[in-house]
Amino acid sequence: MIKAVMMINTQGKPRLSKFYDFMTVEKQQELIRGVFSELCSRPENVSNFLEIDSLFGPDSRLVYKHYATLYFVLVFDASENELAMLDLIQVLVETLDKCFSNVCELDIVFNYSKMHTVLDEIVFGGQVLETNSTEVMKAVEEISKLEAASNAISLVPKSVSGWRGR
Amino acid sequence: MTGMRGLSVFISDIRNCQNKEAERLRVDKELGNIRTCFKNEKVLTPYKKKKYVWKMLYIHMLGYDVDFGHMEAVSLISAPKYPEKQVGYIVTSCLLNENHDFLKLAINTVRNDIIGRNETFQCLALTLVGNIGGRDFAESLAPDVQKLLISSSCRPLVRKKAALCLLRLFRKNPDAINVDGWADRMTQLLDERDLGVLTSSTSLLVALVSNNHEAYSSCLPKCVKILERLARNQDVPQEYTYYGIPSPWLQVKAMRALQYFPTIEDPSTRKSLFEVLQRILMGTDVVKNVNKNNASHAVLFEALSLVIHLDAEKEMMSQCVALLGKFISVREPNIRYLGLENMTRMLMVTDVQDVIKKHQSQIITSLKDPDISIRRRALDLLYGMCDVSNAKDIVEELLQYLSTAEFSMREELSLKAAILAEKFAPDLSWYVDVILQLIDKAGDFVSDDIWFRVVQFVTNNEDLQPYAASKAREYLDKIAIHETMVKVSAYILGEYGHLLARQPGCSASELFSILHEKLPTVSTPTIPILLSTYAKLLMHAQPRDPELEKKVWAVFKKYESCIDVEIQQRAVEYFELSKKGAAFMDVLAEMPKFPERQSSLIKKAEIVEDTADQSAIKLRAQQQPSNALVVANPQPVSGAPPPLKIPSQEPQSVARSISQPNGTSSNLDPQAPSPDLLSDLLGPLAIEAAPGAVSTDQHGPSGTGGHADEVDGSAIVPVGEQTNNVEVIGNIAERFHALCLKDSGVLYEDPYIQIGIKAEWRGHHGRLVLFLGNKSTSPLTSVQALILPPAHLKLELSPVPDTIPPRAQVQSPLEVMNIRPSRDVAVLDFSYKLGTIVVGAKLRIPAVINKFLQPLQLTTEEFFPQWRALSGPPLKLQEVVRGVRPLALPEMANLFNSFRVTICPGLDPNPNNLVASTTFYSDTTGAMLCLARIETDPADRTQLRMTVGSGDPTLTFELKEFIKEQLIVMPMGSRALVPAAAAPAPAAVAQPPSPAALADDPGAMLAGLL
Repeated sequence: MIKAVMMINTQGKPRLSKFYDFMTVEKQQELIRGVFSELCSRPENVSNFLEIDSLFGPDSRLVYKHYATLYFVLVFDASENELAMLDLIQVLVETLDKCFSNVCELDIVFNYSKMHTVLDEIVFGGQVLETNSTEVMKAVEEISKLEAASNAISLVPKSVSGWRGR
Repeated sequence: MTGMRGLSVFISDIRNCQNKEAERLRVDKELGNIRTCFKNEKVLTPYKKKKYVWKMLYIHMLGYDVDFGHMEAVSLISAPKYPEKQVGYIVTSCLLNENHDFLKLAINTVRNDIIGRNETFQCLALTLVGNIGGRDFAESLAPDVQKLLISSSCRPLVRKKAALCLLRLFRKNPDAINVDGWADRMTQLLDERDLGVLTSSTSLLVALVSNNHEAYSSCLPKCVKILERLARNQDVPQEYTYYGIPSPWLQVKAMRALQYFPTIEDPSTRKSLFEVLQRILMGTDVVKNVNKNNASHAVLFEALSLVIHLDAEKEMMSQCVALLGKFISVREPNIRYLGLENMTRMLMVTDVQDVIKKHQSQIITSLKDPDISIRRRALDLLYGMCDVSNAKDIVEELLQYLSTAEFSMREELSLKAAILAEKFAPDLSWYVDVILQLIDKAGDFVSDDIWFRVVQFVTNNEDLQPYAASKAREYLDKIAIHETMVKVSAYILGEYGHLLARQPGCSASELFSILHEKLPTVSTPTIPILLSTYAKLLMHAQPRDPELEKKVWAVFKKYESCIDVEIQQRAVEYFELSKKGAAFMDVLAEMPKFPERQSSLIKKAEIVEDTADQSAIKLRAQQQPSNALVVANPQPVSGAPPPLKIPSQEPQSVARSISQPNGTSSNLDPQAPSPDLLSDLLGPLAIEAAPGAVSTDQHGPSGTGGHADEVDGSAIVPVGEQTNNVEVIGNIAERFHALCLKDSGVLYEDPYIQIGIKAEWRGHHGRLVLFLGNKSTSPLTSVQALILPPAHLKLELSPVPDTIPPRAQVQSPLEVMNIRPSRDVAVLDFSYKLGTIVVGAKLRIPAVINKFLQPLQLTTEEFFPQWRALSGPPLKLQEVVRGVRPLALPEMANLFNSFRVTICPGLDPNPNNLVASTTFYSDTTGAMLCLARIETDPADRTQLRMTVGSGDPTLTFELKEFIKEQLIVMPMGSRALVPAAAAPAPAAVAQPPSPAALADDPGAMLAGLL
């Protein structure tokens, strides 16, 4: 199970964080800080794995990827495959890339709500939901359309049963 | 998301803040603003609400507590319009936890959205439940979510979410899914064409089979089918091909699920699977594209795990090792990392260690890798693969690495080096060298137990003593040495310095001066050791050295009034003793040998260890006879238990046995002091305590008389096959069972005699005293007591006098030693004559298996690695027990604790489960950790699943049966005749006292159970 998803910039500012086990704000911050201090001391061209037992308890693993000014971090337990998790980060980034065409940190900062939507279509309750970025994009676009539509017409909730015949 | 200008402005404001203080001010202002707006509900449009709630979530991420507005967030869930509803769902799932009261209020709305026909609403609701749904949700929503998952009219988008949502509900409450009904559905779900739904369903399957693989055995061939489909790239849409690999995630999940099935019996399924695995193993190459590499190796490493799990043919195994050997030398660091990790896992498999050893130099190179993650893996692997043949090389590498390693690794490193040196030392002088080097290079990271251990070895091996002394002397020449080095060299030179007397610079007075130079630099705990050393040096100075005497006495005088009582006492006593001539020599004679101890270091490391390599070590430890150094005194001495498992405790007891003043004659007794007596050895009086002495109670079982009186005199229970002419008072079986749980009480009583018992248990030894009290006014004659011992106990009963005078009591000690685990019971065949009446009874002796348990409470970190290390039968046995006497969980916990199997509360995430631990002692097994897990079914308290594990198959079985006996229902309400066990009776039978007594007295409850 995935325990947390984090995006932290190279200054240590969290840009997006989601914990799949409930934690208090203080604990979340402590973990983000702890993860960051480990990450920023790592040289380039080393593995993407980090021992993290001291922060998340025994048997937890961490993979990360460093893109430009951002660290993408996944923390998970022994039931997940490390490299598959690394691939999932890649899926997330590729999806964001499609979303914002060449995603950069600012996109992530100012589209805070959309980031949550995208993430929720990829990771669900700590499990991998979808790994196909095309499929993720479809879902995200549907949601965007719905938001736009109901901003315009404010009547009865739109029925979507028509979609079924796709 | 569109048109939320307010949020963007706020984020931008925060970004413009120059420092944390400014940010805080801006956040406070915003929170104040939001608070005011929320108070004024009327002007709060849904749009504004949505905007504010997003801001709250953003502020929450920044690390500020947002302790209001939760109600508003939750209320948005019931908003009719999509955008508000969406925000409500997202924010609620980030801000609240599953136990929040507001969440309970929302259950109905959430349910309506799930059963409603709006698919977007369904998705939102499922996401919330999947992220934070708790037990309440599991109970009310599971059927609806199941319907969505199997519905053919739902879109894949909804169904895949339903699958993961169901997984969450199952985790929260396993009863949410009815195994019987669901197994077939689950099997059908695996036929799914849509790979998104299939991936989620496979995740669900993994959770289900990890809990109960038997019920889902029909899913096994389906998983193999999925793998075949992906391996052959049949019916895999382009979008699900990730860098040319057909959905690596699904492949990984399917292989993960297969690892929960113990074996694959069906030959054709097995054959198909091995074909797929073979294809994966052979067909994966390291390529340039990093992402493709990662994906293909994700699949490959999972395949390796599966191959290891399935214990494939030797050929395939060596193929795996060859692959791993390749991986640990590639450039790509991730592959190298995983190569090392999986090689460590591979150590568990027999027959491959020699192949792995071929890669030793490459692994040692990884110890110098720039990546600490890789260095750690290399350390684990080196540790796991070390044996007698390569110990020297590996340990020396570790020592070398110690000087450059980062601080965070040094402690682990030095511990591992110490353990390996101890376990695999080719000769003892090498071992001493290693430990002294270790102390020299990394003194701060060398825990006390490491130097205690070296002292034990030196003390017990005479050949080693001159060598150790000269080594210790060498280190003292260094300008700055670590305090631990001062301790160990002071100790060794005090004991064995005189062996060097002929060497230059090693006379008693020279040793004294060089040691005394260090005294100003050391802390209080080291001073007593130095004082003892001075006294010993003084004693060894032959002929008397008045010069040295003067100096040493001056030191003693100086510390005579030291505030530290230990130092003061030693100074005073040594001063006085040193004036006593011959007596002084006697008192300060060489320390006796230590009893053989199991290394506390090794225990400690096992707890610190990671799962994989630890189990590897364990497994190998069982496979090969231990090469660990053998302490010269092989006979465990009675009274001294093997070291306890708890790391903190063992070093302590060693510490005490070393740091106690060497001055009293009691220490010449070769018996090792027992921990109980040692507990206050540092206190001034305890020095007089004779070690190993077990005080015998002189007062008889007076405290138990009341208990006997309470027993209903009419409850007459004939004793088995015995034909007695007397009425037995009380119920023999009940008395026996009570004594199984406590250590003193009445074993048997009739109008003429009362037999009391008092027991002390220490490790695998026990000392019972039988108190035979003649109640009558005439003597009891022809008294005979004979022990019929079961094979696993060694029992020695001191002779019982032939006659017991009127109104007198005699005592008869009974020594017990537990040789191996067994539930058989010893029987006391007892008879006497009173005038013409002959009375005889066969009584079970309460020297039962739980007496050789020592309560032990483990923490999560300690428990789980051990638990996982016990891989399965015969070390870990599982059984579903039916017909259990229904007990509430706290009652069950009490029951376990009462027979010294300690419940570790909170370890198991599922509140319906109990996990427990204990240490078992016997001569053959030594001290052995036993773990147990009880999974109860809240719906049916009469059945439970029990898993028991230990390092010894017999112990596991016996303990499991023992616990089962304790849990099984006994016929209620029958005050029927209870046969006392003439032969050892495994199943204990007794009557419960009244229900009222059961309720509040765990002891009574227990007696009832037994």
